[in-house]
Amino acid sequence: MTSPATQVALPRVPGLGGLYGRGAWAAARLAAARGTRTPSPALPDVTYVVDDVRAEPDHLTTYQHLLHEPATDALPAGYVHVLGFPVAMALMVRPDFPLPLLGMVHVANRVEQRQALTLGDRLSVRAWARDLRPHRSGTQVDLVTEVSTAGAVAWLGVSTYLAKGVRLPDAPRDDAERPAFTPPVRTGRWELPADVGRRYAAVSGDRNPIHLSPVTARALGFPRAIAHGMYTASRALADVGAARGDAFTWAVEFAAPVLLPATPDVRVVPEADGFAFTAWHPRSGRLHLAGTVTPLHP
Amino acid sequence: MATRTPSTSPTPRAAYVLGGNRIPFARAGGKYAQASNQDMLTAALDGLVARYGLQGESIGEVAAGAVLKHSRDFNLTREAVLGSALAPTTPAYDVQQACATGLETVVSLSNKIRLGQLESAIAGGVDTTSDAPIAVSEKLRRVLLDVSHAKTPQQRLQALARLRPKDLAPATPRTSEPRTHLSMGEHQALTTAQWEITREAQDEVALRSHQRLAAAYDDGFFDDLVTPYRGLTRDANLRADTSLEKLAKLKPTFGLGLDAPATMTAGNSTPLTDGASTVLLGSADWAAAHDLTPLAAVVDAEAGAVDFVHGVDGLLMAPVFAVPRLLARHGLRLEDLEYVEIHEAFASTVLTTLAAWGSEEFGRERLGLDGAFGTVDPARLNVHGSSLAAGHPFAATGGRIVATIAKELHARRASQVAAGDDSPVRALVSVCAAGGLGLTALLEAA
Repeated sequence: MTSPATQVALPRVPGLGGLYGRGAWAAARLAAARGTRTPSPALPDVTYVVDDVRAEPDHLTTYQHLLHEPATDALPAGYVHVLGFPVAMALMVRPDFPLPLLGMVHVANRVEQRQALTLGDRLSVRAWARDLRPHRSGTQVDLVTEVSTAGAVAWLGVSTYLAKGVRLPDAPRDDAERPAFTPPVRTGRWELPADVGRRYAAVSGDRNPIHLSPVTARALGFPRAIAHGMYTASRALADVGAARGDAFTWAVEFAAPVLLPATPDVRVVPEADGFAFTAWHPRSGRLHLAGTVTPLHP
Repeated sequence: MATRTPSTSPTPRAAYVLGGNRIPFARAGGKYAQASNQDMLTAALDGLVARYGLQGESIGEVAAGAVLKHSRDFNLTREAVLGSALAPTTPAYDVQQACATGLETVVSLSNKIRLGQLESAIAGGVDTTSDAPIAVSEKLRRVLLDVSHAKTPQQRLQALARLRPKDLAPATPRTSEPRTHLSMGEHQALTTAQWEITREAQDEVALRSHQRLAAAYDDGFFDDLVTPYRGLTRDANLRADTSLEKLAKLKPTFGLGLDAPATMTAGNSTPLTDGASTVLLGSADWAAAHDLTPLAAVVDAEAGAVDFVHGVDGLLMAPVFAVPRLLARHGLRLEDLEYVEIHEAFASTVLTTLAAWGSEEFGRERLGLDGAFGTVDPARLNVHGSSLAAGHPFAATGGRIVATIAKELHARRASQVAAGDDSPVRALVSVCAAGGLGLTALLEAA
């Protein structure tokens, strides 16, 4: 995938706690400088690179137990996201990143796993931003993360974020509405305790305050803490299980946030090619997320 | 002891059910509330020993198990043997296959007898929901393990400092499926709705179960199969006087959130139950040497499993696939069986199983047959009642069914032979289990 030619090598995967602090500061600075909510339409023309990233056994086990994955030495695709995510995030807190980190919503995620990665593999992570574009309720951007081992790209992730209320200058309004959702027959449910946001924050490093506690979530406009989107998507991937194979595309769109604690109904079923998954609120019937896991055909 | 070791035979010989004994099944929190799994299994074993004169006898092997089992009971069956009147030289092992545990002990021990590895065996199972093990929370467990692995006082303190008050809450055992977090009843409600099973049909199955079990007790059928325990002489769940009107008054408990009407109630679902059962197995030679009458041969068995996690089939539908394979191996059809025992986990489990077997479409598309697998005459189905009336102490159910139907098979065959009819008399036993498992077995009257 084409990435900006300017490469910046980071000595290691950045810690996310500091990044959120910088993100909050940058968001305030952006707002103060602009006075308006109109971002400059340019993304930083740079690729961040971190070499020699490795999974750590206890960290991997904690992740696998939390996500209901079997604790094998294979790295779940969601775990590779956790390894690479801070590199993408370091881009988003750059002073020249045009959207505010805090308040950005993860609306979709797409991972192409070309080969299974294993504990002990030496990984190289490259991350860049692309495709700043208007959305009906703000501005969207893709953060691309590429994970390679032995010179070959093994895992490619595209995380789509929405900055609500942020308008690009002269952007056409995209008024496409989400199709209505009717809950199907469930195949199971998830029991998500109140602390699952804190536990996923601890293992993923994504300590966005909206996931940590009711108090910190309320400060950002949510009535309770919400589950990480990638936590729910990774639970769905775990529910698909070994039938996903080693090479697959895992695509998800996030809808209504999962307010914790929660017991969403889920449906994970085989389709003509791969699996489809859906999770929704059992009483209101509001859709939380929907996606597919389809085999990559060579 | 070398003289006791049987010679292995090159071709399988017959393994027979020689008898059985169980304690009456109690409702959870009832008469057996203080009894442990080991207590009840020992009681059932001792009843069997007394019934068949096995005091001091060294049995080839005893296999039993429990579904809700404390880790301290790692040798539950051996401990029960040591506490029983059997010779202490009787080997034993534990088995655990959810609700199929009891039937699996019968199958595996029969196979050892068929191969000549054993001359005699006792199969069994026990479960208590009253005396269920309670675990500490995952966090507390982790901390306690880390404390025990710590090398210095500082490391111990660091581990303990991770504890929070909520970590001290106990974790009680649950009957929900680990991968779907739905209870067995919630799962079966999906299957019930899928096959459009009515409330009335389920209540009729429940009523028939109570009426037939009550009639069997009244006729003295269980006099040589059940030993009273702790003041119970009959299964505490049995309601001889229940009626369709009484059953119709119960509120649905499962399937409340579905589009289809909720039809599953406490009356047409099995209650949580405590109890234990045993089955005496042996070769023809061993039976003759002990002056015991073979009741039925354990002919064959077939296990199955379904992908309920992805909604491909209902959680309790594995026997629907296993039975056609089992019967095909013997060139038999459902209609060739004099008796069909389908464990009543729920009344609708029996009905969805029969509905799938009766469906042309299901037979063609899922079972690979030319059409429907077949039908079961209600007169041949669960003839002395089943789990809805007796209750269902998970691992004890297989032994209850096998001992009951083996006695019935033998009686039927004897009356047929007396009337000049020498045709075989067969029974199918089908048990569904958690995890999408199913175990089925074919018995033939001796």
